[in-house]
Amino acid sequence: MTTGTIFSIEEFAIHDGPGIRTTVFLKGCPLRCTWCHNPEGQGFEPETMVKKGEKSVCGERISPEKLVAKLLRNEEIFKMNGGGVTFTGGEPLSQAQFLLEVLEKLGGRIHTAIETSGYAPKEVFRKVTDKVDLVMMDIKMVDPKRHREWTGLSNALILSNLETLIGSGKPFIARIPLIPGVNDDRENLEKTAVLLEGATGLQRVELLPYHKTAGAKYPMVAREYLPGFDTEIPPRLDTEPFEKRNIKTMIL
Amino acid sequence: MNERLDALRTYLLKKKHHAFVRTAEEAGIAGLNERFAREGTPDQMRSAMVFSEMMKNQDPVILPGEKIVFTRTIKDVPFIYTEKEWEGIKATHYIHERGTVSNISPDYETTIRLGLGARKDEVKARLAQGNAGEEGKIFLESVLKCIDSLQDLILRYEETARAIGAEDTAEVLSNVRTKGAGSFREALQLLRIIHFAIWAADNYHNTLGRFDQYMYPYYRHDIDNGILTPGEAFDLLEEFFLTCNKDSDFYPGMQQGDNGQSIVLGGRDSDGNYLFNELSEMCLKASYELRLIDPKINIRVDSRTPDEIFEMGSRLTKIGLGFPQYSNDDVVIPGLVRKGYSEKDARNYVVAACWEFIIPKVAMDIVNIDGLSLAACVKDALPGLKDCKDYDAFYSLVDKEIRKEADLICAKHKDLYMIPSPMMSLLMDGTIERARDISLGCKYNNFGIHGTGLATATDSLAAIRKYVFEEKTVTPERLLAALKADFKNDPELKELLRKEAPKMGQDIDWVDSIGTDLLDSFDKALEGRHNERGGIYRAGTGTAMYYIWHARDLGATPDGRTAEENIPANYSPSLFMKQKGPISVIKSFSKPHLQRVINGGPLTLEFDQTVFSNEESIRKLGMLVKTFITLGGHQLQLNTVNREELLDAKAHPENHRQLIVRVWGWSGYFVELDECYQDHVISRIEFGV
Repeated sequence: MTTGTIFSIEEFAIHDGPGIRTTVFLKGCPLRCTWCHNPEGQGFEPETMVKKGEKSVCGERISPEKLVAKLLRNEEIFKMNGGGVTFTGGEPLSQAQFLLEVLEKLGGRIHTAIETSGYAPKEVFRKVTDKVDLVMMDIKMVDPKRHREWTGLSNALILSNLETLIGSGKPFIARIPLIPGVNDDRENLEKTAVLLEGATGLQRVELLPYHKTAGAKYPMVAREYLPGFDTEIPPRLDTEPFEKRNIKTMIL
Repeated sequence: MNERLDALRTYLLKKKHHAFVRTAEEAGIAGLNERFAREGTPDQMRSAMVFSEMMKNQDPVILPGEKIVFTRTIKDVPFIYTEKEWEGIKATHYIHERGTVSNISPDYETTIRLGLGARKDEVKARLAQGNAGEEGKIFLESVLKCIDSLQDLILRYEETARAIGAEDTAEVLSNVRTKGAGSFREALQLLRIIHFAIWAADNYHNTLGRFDQYMYPYYRHDIDNGILTPGEAFDLLEEFFLTCNKDSDFYPGMQQGDNGQSIVLGGRDSDGNYLFNELSEMCLKASYELRLIDPKINIRVDSRTPDEIFEMGSRLTKIGLGFPQYSNDDVVIPGLVRKGYSEKDARNYVVAACWEFIIPKVAMDIVNIDGLSLAACVKDALPGLKDCKDYDAFYSLVDKEIRKEADLICAKHKDLYMIPSPMMSLLMDGTIERARDISLGCKYNNFGIHGTGLATATDSLAAIRKYVFEEKTVTPERLLAALKADFKNDPELKELLRKEAPKMGQDIDWVDSIGTDLLDSFDKALEGRHNERGGIYRAGTGTAMYYIWHARDLGATPDGRTAEENIPANYSPSLFMKQKGPISVIKSFSKPHLQRVINGGPLTLEFDQTVFSNEESIRKLGMLVKTFITLGGHQLQLNTVNREELLDAKAHPENHRQLIVRVWGWSGYFVELDECYQDHVISRIEFGV
C-alpha cells in the first residue's frame, strides 16, 4: 500500500480554487525556487521544525484511506459551497501514486484541484490532470536558462506538459509568482501570454506578487534564506500582456 | 459621503460639540433628589421631574450643516434618590446594574406614526377614564409631564432653527412636535428625538431594533412620490447614523462603546418573505462609509437567505468594525417559541445591546441578570473525581454543580426594584392602558443567564475523560495536585493538557458532545423555574464581561489553563486550542442544541485583515457565514484584526485613536478600553491565509 507524506492540511484556503476548500500540502519538491516560502515542503522526508522555540516534526505519513476519510468529513460543506479539495505542496505530482489513489478513493464525490509546478513525467502529468477537475499550474519563467538559474531545473518538461494541458481542454488557471527582477519583466510576461493565448481551458491568469515575509520559515528548518534578488523592491504588477489578449487576469 | 456629512463627521470625531456641554451641577439641577426626599415625592414623579428639568435646561444646539438635530448638552442625569435613600432601597431589594430600565427594545414605530400629540391625547383619555387608581394616576401624569417637556424642547429647537435661517429644519421640527412623521426626514428626526429622550431619561443600552422595517414605509413613500432621490435618502440615513455617535461619550456602559445602540436588519416573516429591503442595504453601505462604532449592525438570516446578503455583510466585516453580527431565524424563532414567546412575537425578535434575543415593544426581560460559570462547575466537581468509577459518574457531579449554581443564582433575584421611567414607558406596549410603569413589567418578564467558560469546561471534561478514565494515564490525585499548584509542580502535565488534549473547535464529535451536554444541563437546570415576576429563566452562551470576572477566581483548569489566563469570550474555542481551521470551529460550535440556549451569545471568529484582499475572498467569507447558519449555528460575529496594529496601538495610543475592535457584544475604540480587555482582544486566535 502506498503512503503519502503531507506537511499540512489547511481549511478554508481562500486562494486555492472555487468555493470553500481544504488544501492538502504534499511534502517534497524537485524544484528549488529561490523565493520559495514553504522551505519545509521541499524535502521528501519528515523533518524537525522549531517554531517559537518549540520543536515539532514537520511531515506526517498518511494512508490514502485516512486522508480521504479526513477530507470527506466536510463533503457536505464542500458541496454546499461549490468547493472541494486542492492538492499542493511541495510538488503533488512527485507523489503521483499516492495522489492517484486518493483521487480514486474520492471517486468524484467532491471537486478536486491540484496546484503544480508542472514538473513531472509526461505520463504522470497526463494521468493526474485527467483525474482532477481543475489544474492550477505555475508558469514561472519561459526562458529555459533563467528557469534553471532560479529554480535549479530546466523548464522543458514543464512547457511540454503545459502544451498537453492546453491541448486537453481541461479547465486550468495559470499562476505566475511575480518575483522582483526575476520574472516580472515585460518580456517574460509577453512570452507567457503568447503561450496561453487561445487556450480554451484557461479560466484566468493569477499573478501572485512576491511578499517580503517569504523567508520567514527558513530559520525554523535551520536554513538560510538566500533569495538572490532584492526583496525590498516591490514586483511590477503588469497585467497588460494578458489583458490585451483578452485573458482574464487577477492579482492575488 | 458628501462634503457636508464628511465635515460633520470630522466635527463630531474631534468632539467639538462637547464645548456646549455642562454638568447637571453647572445647570443647577443636581440637587433635585434632596428636594424629592424632603417632600416625599413618589418615584415615578421624580423620574418625570428630573426628565423635565433635563429638557428645560438643554441648550438647543444646531451643529454646522445639520439637518437632523438634537445634541445633548447636559452631561449627566441627576439621580432621583439621595445616597441615603438609595442605600436603604438597596438593602431590601435586588438592583440590576444601575437600577434604571435598560437593554430593552422600545417601540419607536407607534409614536413616529401617530405623533407626540396623539400619544398625549391617549394618555389624557386614559386619565379621564378615572379608574387608574392613585399609583396609575401618578404614572399617567408623569408620562404627560415627559411629553410636555420634550415638546417644549422641540419648540425651542424650532425657534433656534428659524433664528439661523434653517427654515426646512424648523418646518420638520414644527411638524414632529405634535404630528406623526410625514416623510423620511421627519421620521428620522422624530426617531432621533425619542432616542435622545430615553437616554436623557437615564435609560441605557437603548437599542434601535428593526430600523429597516419600521423606517421603510417613510423611505418608500418619499422615493415613490419623488420627494427624495435614493441618494438624498442615503445622506439622511448617514446623518442619522452620525447622530448615534454624537452623545455616546455620556452613555453609561461597562466600557466606553458598550452603549447598546444595535440595529437589526432583515429577518423572515410568517409568510416566508425575507425582509431585506433597499433601506437595509443602505444601512450596510452607510456603516461602511462612516466607519464608526454606532449603530452596531446585526443581520437576521437563515439557511434560505440569498448569498448576496452574506456578501454585503462580509464587505462590511472586512473593514474591521467587528460587525455585522448574524443571527439565525431558523434557530432563534423556534427557540423563543420553546421558551413561551408567541410565534408572532418570536418572529419579531431583535438583539439587545449585545446579542441577547429580545422582543420589541412587549418584553421587559432582564437578559443579563447574571452569569453561570460552567468552568467553575467543573472545578467544583473535581474533589469527587477520585470516587467516580467512570466518566458518566463524574459528569453527573458536574450536572449537580450546575443545578446548585442555578439555585444560588435564582435565589438572588428577589424583591427586584427598578427605577421607573415614564418616558420609556410611553414606548412600550400596553403601559398606558395598564397605567403601569414599564419598570414593573410587561408581557414578558424573563431573566437571562449567561453561560460562561463553555470551551474551558468542555475541554477540561474531555481531558478528564481521555486521560483519567479511558487511557488512565493521569490519576485524579496528580491532576488535582497540579491544579492546586497552578501546574508549577507538573509542567509536563500542563503541556499534555494544553497541547495534546482534544478541544472543542477541532470537530471531534465526542468532544463536542460534551459541550452539548453542558448546555443541555444548563438549560435543564433553569427549566420550570419562575422568577418573582412570573417570567422564566433563559440559558445563554454569552459571557459579557464575565469572561474577565469569572476567570479571576477560577484557578487553573484541567484543560491546561493557568490561573492567570482568561477564558474565551462568548461562545468560542479555547484561547490556546491547536487550530484545525475555521471549518472545524463552525462545525464544532453548530453541534449543540442551540435552540435551548436562546438567551444568545455568538461564536466569534477572528481573521487577519490581510485575508480578505479581493472580491472573491469576500464572497468566500459570505459562504463561511452561510455554512455556519445552514449547519444550525445560532449567532456569529466576525472580526478582522491586525495583531501588529493592536500591539502598536497599546504602545502608542495617540496614533490609533480611530482603531475599532469588537469587545464582547459591541464594538469600541481600542485605545479607550481598560487594559484587560485590550489584552483579551490581542490574545484571541486569528486565522491567517
